[in-house]
Amino acid sequence: MGAVPSPLDLLALPFMRTALVELALLAVAGGVLGVWIVLRRLAFFTHAAGAVAFPALVVAGPIGVSSQLAGLAAGLGYAAGVGGAGRAGRDSSAATGLLLVASLALGVVLASDVVRAPAGVDLLLFGTLLGLDGADVAASAVAAALALVATLVVGRAWLATAFDAAGARALRLPVGRLDAVLLALVATAAVAAVPAVGALLVTSLFIVPAAAARLITGSVGALFAASVGLAAVQGLVGLYAAYALDVSPGPAIAVVGTGLYACAALAGRSRGGATARAAAPPVLHARGRAR
Amino acid sequence: MPDLVDFLLEPFRSGIGQRALAEVVLVAAIGGALGFWVLTFGLAYGAESLAHGLLPGLVAAALVGVPLLLGGLAGIAVAALLVWLAGRDERVGTDAATAVAVTGMLGLGGVLALAPDLPPRLGELLFGDPLSARAQDLAAAGGLVVLGGLALAALHRPLAAVAFDREAARSLGLGTGRVTIALLGLVAATLAVAVQGLGNLLVLAVLVAPPVAVRRHASTPARAMLGGGAVAVVAGVAGLYASYHLEIAAGASVALALCLAAGVGAALPPRGRRALARGRLRRAPG
Amino acid sequence: MSALVEARGLAAGYGGRPAIHDVTFAAGAGRTVAVLGPNGGGKTTLFRALVGELAPLAGSVRVAGRPAYVAQTERTRLDFPVSALDVAAMGALARSPWWLPVRGADRSAAAEALQRVGLEAEARTRFGALSGGQRQRVLLARALVQEAEVLILDEPFAGVDPASAERMDTLFAELRSEGRAIVVATHDVAAARDFDRVLCLNDRQVAFGEPARTLSRRVLEATYESEIVVLEEDDGPVRAVAVQHHEH
Repeated sequence: MGAVPSPLDLLALPFMRTALVELALLAVAGGVLGVWIVLRRLAFFTHAAGAVAFPALVVAGPIGVSSQLAGLAAGLGYAAGVGGAGRAGRDSSAATGLLLVASLALGVVLASDVVRAPAGVDLLLFGTLLGLDGADVAASAVAAALALVATLVVGRAWLATAFDAAGARALRLPVGRLDAVLLALVATAAVAAVPAVGALLVTSLFIVPAAAARLITGSVGALFAASVGLAAVQGLVGLYAAYALDVSPGPAIAVVGTGLYACAALAGRSRGGATARAAAPPVLHARGRAR
Repeated sequence: MPDLVDFLLEPFRSGIGQRALAEVVLVAAIGGALGFWVLTFGLAYGAESLAHGLLPGLVAAALVGVPLLLGGLAGIAVAALLVWLAGRDERVGTDAATAVAVTGMLGLGGVLALAPDLPPRLGELLFGDPLSARAQDLAAAGGLVVLGGLALAALHRPLAAVAFDREAARSLGLGTGRVTIALLGLVAATLAVAVQGLGNLLVLAVLVAPPVAVRRHASTPARAMLGGGAVAVVAGVAGLYASYHLEIAAGASVALALCLAAGVGAALPPRGRRALARGRLRRAPG
Repeated sequence: MSALVEARGLAAGYGGRPAIHDVTFAAGAGRTVAVLGPNGGGKTTLFRALVGELAPLAGSVRVAGRPAYVAQTERTRLDFPVSALDVAAMGALARSPWWLPVRGADRSAAAEALQRVGLEAEARTRFGALSGGQRQRVLLARALVQEAEVLILDEPFAGVDPASAERMDTLFAELRSEGRAIVVATHDVAAARDFDRVLCLNDRQVAFGEPARTLSRRVLEATYESEIVVLEEDDGPVRAVAVQHHEH
């Protein structure tokens, strides 16, 4: 049995440093956008966005397009399609499910039989956190920046819509366009995360930390901070665990995330956890201080 | 003419081809019928979550050498438990909580499957392989069709009553909780059996695509179920043909054919007065 | 005379917290009870407890046989592919084994019930395509097929055209003379005066008794709080109009 690898190796090895930077960026993007995803009930949408990226990324190289561009096109196309169809009631989950399945099926057919690179399937589905290049990291940086800027600029409007959509319309907020922006942002950020954590596991950084944060915080400001913080911790612990146990990092981060959620659920008990009524998201005051 | 006959029969001349055909036909028949209730009760997301969440069960079964069916059932049970646990706090919302559980399970499956030195045919677990159907898989599928078909027939009136008017169903003496659990049990059994042919990522197609394809065209639940089963079988067989002649992965091919059928069926306008037109109120004669 | 439906000290609610409490009333054969109260005051909670959907948090509930429950039609699934006849036939589920398909006898009973509510011509029409009043009558037909001794109706006249309403009134009179007990939630304070008893409910039971003696100004104001406009008449009887709030 070898000795347990030192956490400092994470800083010494170049591909590890890249992974750490990527995880930090995804912690911001996923932590910030995750709050909106949880508040606006976009979990399935996000999961499907990751899946839609899969076939795009399979064909990107062979047809001579950068994978970032292909992914962007897929994400925006998906968001536009969903926005165009309207976020109407009960039928949307069936359609989202079928789109998800069709994307995954198309991707594997393209990968195995058209492009003939079947080994890439596992990597795209579960991520190659240790094999990223500069373009991947740059895309994540853009996603993180956009997430922060959008939240600062449009956040109050999004919050008002989350709390009371009809009331928001009455306030003359352009709800439709704001929603379109949110969908586009979530989709493209999710796609940017795919090379790192995999098309199937985008939600590990985009929903799990925010959900866990929801259980342990009460105010909106704390929610964002906790979400990003938990995402960062989750990424770090998951990466180290993967390194120490010699397993794939993307899945390891996902498992760690669910573990963190469980801890948050237990910790949040004392704040009135399991019997808490479905509280509306806390209202943001004019000065940005949450009640 | 001989070419056409050849074209039609060639994929199924071999034992492998015949077993694949039988597997797809059986699973599609029961999945397409059950799918009507999955759609009606709004269980698409739940079914997708159970399907994705059972991956660690499949991987563990493949690693240990136990039949995939058992691994699938165990995986579903654990996934359902985790989803229930995660969803207990209402602040997070059921869909986000479900995502937490499913992501964890997918991650666990990935950790187990991608660990070096132990590759358990991950591609087949994820995307299925009807061409590797063995006698015991067909037996499971056959059993599912028989028992599932009987269950659907017996539960038909309670399911319709609960779907139509949940509160009155209680007053009619139907335990709405028990009806829902029976339905979820059928869904779980179908997922566990169909995973062999379609893989856990694609199996949702056999439950959701057929009812989406027929819902605008069926005027009663019975017609929707029979139509769904028929559409699923046709799409499944078409998928196998495409897989053979185009030389593409069989499980994915069947799933794509099912999704295509859903798209076509949903886009076709309903015909005639029998069809299910939404929200059209007739003037009351009095 | 033993009651067909009664509650004693009933408390019921959701998640362990009572939405209603201290409800005590009884209705025997051929008796009608009007339940008055503001929206959110607990009428639907009471009905759910009577039907067995909610277990009592305190006190008791007793109903003879399986009551027929006609909730507001918005609670039914309007896009579910069933015809009026199919819906009426659902009533037979209370009387026959659920695992068997609809029997001929049940189908005839359903057709007869539709005739009784005046909808035999719409037997094959899809439920969702009917008007509000027609849908209400189909649900009543289902209650008839059920052959329940107790009928529980949640605002059956809401949004119903006058012709349907008249038919329903006639039907209620017939059911009453057949010895069934009928419990009706209503916003129509004036109509409540024609019932045998009234139950005024606003989280707690405000009053229960004969309308003439029970529906005083004080009781009505306690029941509806700010939602009532009370018109006093010179020669005595108080007329009251309940202000209806529409839910968005």
